[in-house]
Amino acid sequence: MLIFKLAFRNILRQKRRSLLTGLSMTGGYVLFVISISMLEGSWGNAVDIFTLDHTGHIQIHKGNYVKRPKIYETIVDREEVEEALAGEARITGYAPRVYSPTLAYSGDKTSPAFLIGVDPVLETSVSRLLLKVSDGTYFDAAPNEDGYSQAMIGAGLASKLKLGLGDEIVLIAQGADGSIANDIFIISAIIGNKTSFDRFAVYLPLSAAQVFLSLGATVHEYAMLVSNRNHNEAIASDLQVLLPNLTVSPWQKVEESFYRTMQSDRQGNHFSMGIIVFLVFIGVLNTVLMSVLERTREFGVLRSIGCHPLGLVKLIFLETQMLTWLSLAVGGLIALPLVFWFAQYGILLPQPIDVGGVNFQHMKGEFSSLVFFMPMTFIVGAAALISLPPGIRAARILPRDALSSH
Amino acid sequence: MTKLIETKDLCRSFGSDETLVVALDHVSVTIEEGEFTAIIGPSGSGKTTLLHLIGGLDEPSSGSVTLSGINIAKMPGRQVSDFRRDHIGFIFQAYNLIPVLSAEENIEYVMLLQGVSARERRRRVKEMLKITGLEGLGKRRPAQLSGGQQQRVAVARAMASSPDTILADEPTANLDSKTGISLLEVMRDLNQTRGMTFVFSTHDEKIMERATRLIHLHDGAIDKDERK
Ligand SMILES: Nc1ncnc2c1ncn2[C@@H]1O[C@H](COP(=O)(O)OP(=O)(O)O)[C@@H](O)[C@H]1O
Ligand SMILES: [Mg+2]
Repeated sequence: MLIFKLAFRNILRQKRRSLLTGLSMTGGYVLFVISISMLEGSWGNAVDIFTLDHTGHIQIHKGNYVKRPKIYETIVDREEVEEALAGEARITGYAPRVYSPTLAYSGDKTSPAFLIGVDPVLETSVSRLLLKVSDGTYFDAAPNEDGYSQAMIGAGLASKLKLGLGDEIVLIAQGADGSIANDIFIISAIIGNKTSFDRFAVYLPLSAAQVFLSLGATVHEYAMLVSNRNHNEAIASDLQVLLPNLTVSPWQKVEESFYRTMQSDRQGNHFSMGIIVFLVFIGVLNTVLMSVLERTREFGVLRSIGCHPLGLVKLIFLETQMLTWLSLAVGGLIALPLVFWFAQYGILLPQPIDVGGVNFQHMKGEFSSLVFFMPMTFIVGAAALISLPPGIRAARILPRDALSSH
Repeated sequence: MTKLIETKDLCRSFGSDETLVVALDHVSVTIEEGEFTAIIGPSGSGKTTLLHLIGGLDEPSSGSVTLSGINIAKMPGRQVSDFRRDHIGFIFQAYNLIPVLSAEENIEYVMLLQGVSARERRRRVKEMLKITGLEGLGKRRPAQLSGGQQQRVAVARAMASSPDTILADEPTANLDSKTGISLLEVMRDLNQTRGMTFVFSTHDEKIMERATRLIHLHDGAIDKDERK
């Protein structure tokens, strides 16, 4: 195509200038891609740290339990739920849970605490509870020879009540039927540290918790993980269709305020990237304008042989786009291995981040199509916009004036 | 003979008040199909202005320009553009080829604008190179051609769109006289064999001699109009 040849050769006309402009776009693109990768990566990191600690990617409850937890608001037909979860290949693991506020005693000391009943086996496929055992051994469902069940308690509660491994802890709570529940449990493990969200939690095996709270076989919650966390909202709405009598919530709903803060943070970062690209494009605009002004006479000739003003706008547009896509191709070649490495190995943090007793050593980037295409779309769009003023300028050249300029 | 170009009381002035320059002053002229007309006159007499107005590159201050019965002075911009593309070929003093396109591509470009098929474009490019004596030079860029050769490419480009008229503003002024005359021979040949109408300006005596009609301009007005 002659018009493509023309546009391409026009780019080659001022080789050094085109090279510099192209490199600035390449640089802008690479920078943009890496920042997005880091941003998405650290966002993903934060989401992982957060959701894998306890929340999971999706939760199922009865009614409005997320906002207003009531002890009797339980999931009764667990078979129906577990069938639905087993039938969804994108779910990698799920765990049932019960909750209740409780009062904990040890000798003459007492403290309010939070009871969490979990299935010792299933829980490990959803949360990091097992990894958070800082002392003792992870519990199992079997009671000891005296008939007492095991409990794991948060580090905060342990120090407040001066409790250690093998000690007895007495819990008092209100059962689902309104009765007063009270029982003795034996501490098998201390969980996390004093920064953990569950520093005042008492973990009980699910069956023991259900008996204690008179819940029968019912539970308050199912938490689950999915294979690709970016799809969790879609999976949640698919599940919701299967389970119309229950409430299926993605973690973004369960932890709405956390999600909101993170999200606005993320948008703020995208905005500052936008500014970098804007600066790059002031340079690009300058180049394109210059190349138009230099060719005033030539545009006059093109007009005089019958080229429409719009034809000139198209030509400038095409030239700018060609340079942009070339720059992006080079940028892609540079960014691809960089981002890949970054996503695989990440950068070693100078200090590990401690999240509730689990350490995170590396900060990894994200390697996904979004990381490459988002900046690309942005830059192509900016290039398209930027080529319009010079294009219009060229279109407005009067053949008479252009031809008489020497 | 049919009237191809007709101007009536054509006026064009530039600037205003003290800086007012009247470049053309009530020029009325008719050019017939197949004529080989030279517009002559000293520098500043209005030759370029007249050619630009006839070609629709400029708008008159008053008066009309009619090409094949169509008043182009009243045409909206986009239409003038198409009209120029399909009916008029331009040749400039400074050749004005597109430097990044080869001779062939320069000739082809205007046909591309017209929407001529690729096959037909190729055929006509070949033909134009042949009749302008540029065979074998088609792949060269303007910078690799001599002035005379470049101006031949310009003639070929002007011819390629099959216009009704070719307007040439001092086409030989940048050429030495021998090259200038041989370029004029090419034009004259096209005029005679294909009946192409040429209007060109010049102030070179040797070039004028070859015209079949001489329109003398002086201070923007027609002084004398002689047919040979
Ligand atoms: N764009 C313009 N602005 C002001 N004056 C102009 C312009 N173009 C031409 N003129 C004036 O109009 C007159 C005729 O110019 P022109 O048609 O170029 O003459 P020629 O081609 O015969 O040398 C001259 O006096 C010139 O200075
Ligand atoms: Mg002139």
